[in-house]
Amino acid sequence: MNYNQLILMASDLGHLLLSSGAEIYRVEESMNRLLDAYGVEHNDVFAIPNCIFVTITTPEGETITKIRRVHRRANNLDRVDRANDLCRRICREKPPVEAAAKEIRRIASRPVYGVWTQTVAFCLVSFFFTLFWGGVLADAVCSVVCSICMKGILLLNARLKAYDFLTNLMASAVAALIATSAVSLGLAVHYDKIIIGALMTLVPGITITTFMRDIMAGDLVAGLQRLTESLLVATAIALGVGLVLMAPRLLWGV
Amino acid sequence: MEYMQVLYAFFACLGGCLIFNVRGKELFLMPLGGAVGWFVYLLAAPFGNDIFQNFAGTVVLSIYAELMARLRRKPATGYLLVALFPLVPGGGIYYTMEYCIAGNTDLFLETGLHTLGVAGVLALGVLLVSSVVRMFGRSPGLADGNRR
Repeated sequence: MNYNQLILMASDLGHLLLSSGAEIYRVEESMNRLLDAYGVEHNDVFAIPNCIFVTITTPEGETITKIRRVHRRANNLDRVDRANDLCRRICREKPPVEAAAKEIRRIASRPVYGVWTQTVAFCLVSFFFTLFWGGVLADAVCSVVCSICMKGILLLNARLKAYDFLTNLMASAVAALIATSAVSLGLAVHYDKIIIGALMTLVPGITITTFMRDIMAGDLVAGLQRLTESLLVATAIALGVGLVLMAPRLLWGV
Repeated sequence: MEYMQVLYAFFACLGGCLIFNVRGKELFLMPLGGAVGWFVYLLAAPFGNDIFQNFAGTVVLSIYAELMARLRRKPATGYLLVALFPLVPGGGIYYTMEYCIAGNTDLFLETGLHTLGVAGVLALGVLLVSSVVRMFGRSPGLADGNRR
């Protein structure tokens, strides 16, 4: 068997899982199992949210190590689910390595929802979360306007390859600006509810919960990394909203 | 009237599903978990402690997620991720920030610690259920015979 190809295929699977937002233990266990299935007794995998390290020792006694960086991560439950199914099938049927690698590439190129559907999703989240947190209908409509503008900024900044920090800062500042202007024009009532609803898609609530799970499950490095990440996002959002909320106080003293 | 929130939670979670690229029947089943979680949160209101309410909601929605994971043969994480959306302390994070800007240190610390507490309790609820399941049953997400 070609062990170089095998380790490449295993790391492709790990990369696919990790970049789609799978948990650390799932990435590590899936790769361990896959390598076990192909008869590699000595295999070690270590994963953190943006990197995978894997080392195997072939039956001939040769050691191969591979490091995979994961630069872009986005939660994609469809891919996690399919990659997980595929991993189980590979472990059971042990197909030739090339065939398995082809299957992995096929999952990686599965479609994602288009820009319009994603915008609708943003609108749904902000509209209903504004109502959920106690806003009135006018607030919810205003929140939808905020989230459409935010989505525009996210798309623009993704094209310009801007840093996430800047993107989050700009998006939250715009949301706060629209919300406060709408309230001072009398179009909406609660600016805080509007901002919370609109920012629900950015706020690192999920990351905060995931980091606690990582830490409690013993993946300390991964947990700390996610904690830093969520603090950065929270800081960016707080700065963006904060600047807008403070501006009138500084300029006109209200 | 308060129970309208359950409906709002359902549709908000549906939006979350679309953001996470969920397809097929899960577009109904995942938001349902969010609605169930919030329903239990409201049911636990008489205890008068929102940390406990969050805990009860999380435990029930985690059980729902593990159950669905078995029935639908999919990782439980997806169900959890979407269903936790309404419980996640988005409002807490926002008010913490607002008090920070307003220079109200007392309220800032209080709200910040409370938010951390809620996040901790969510993680605890999820972990509790998943470790009990791991101890007493096969995990459907990964295990398929050749467990180490």
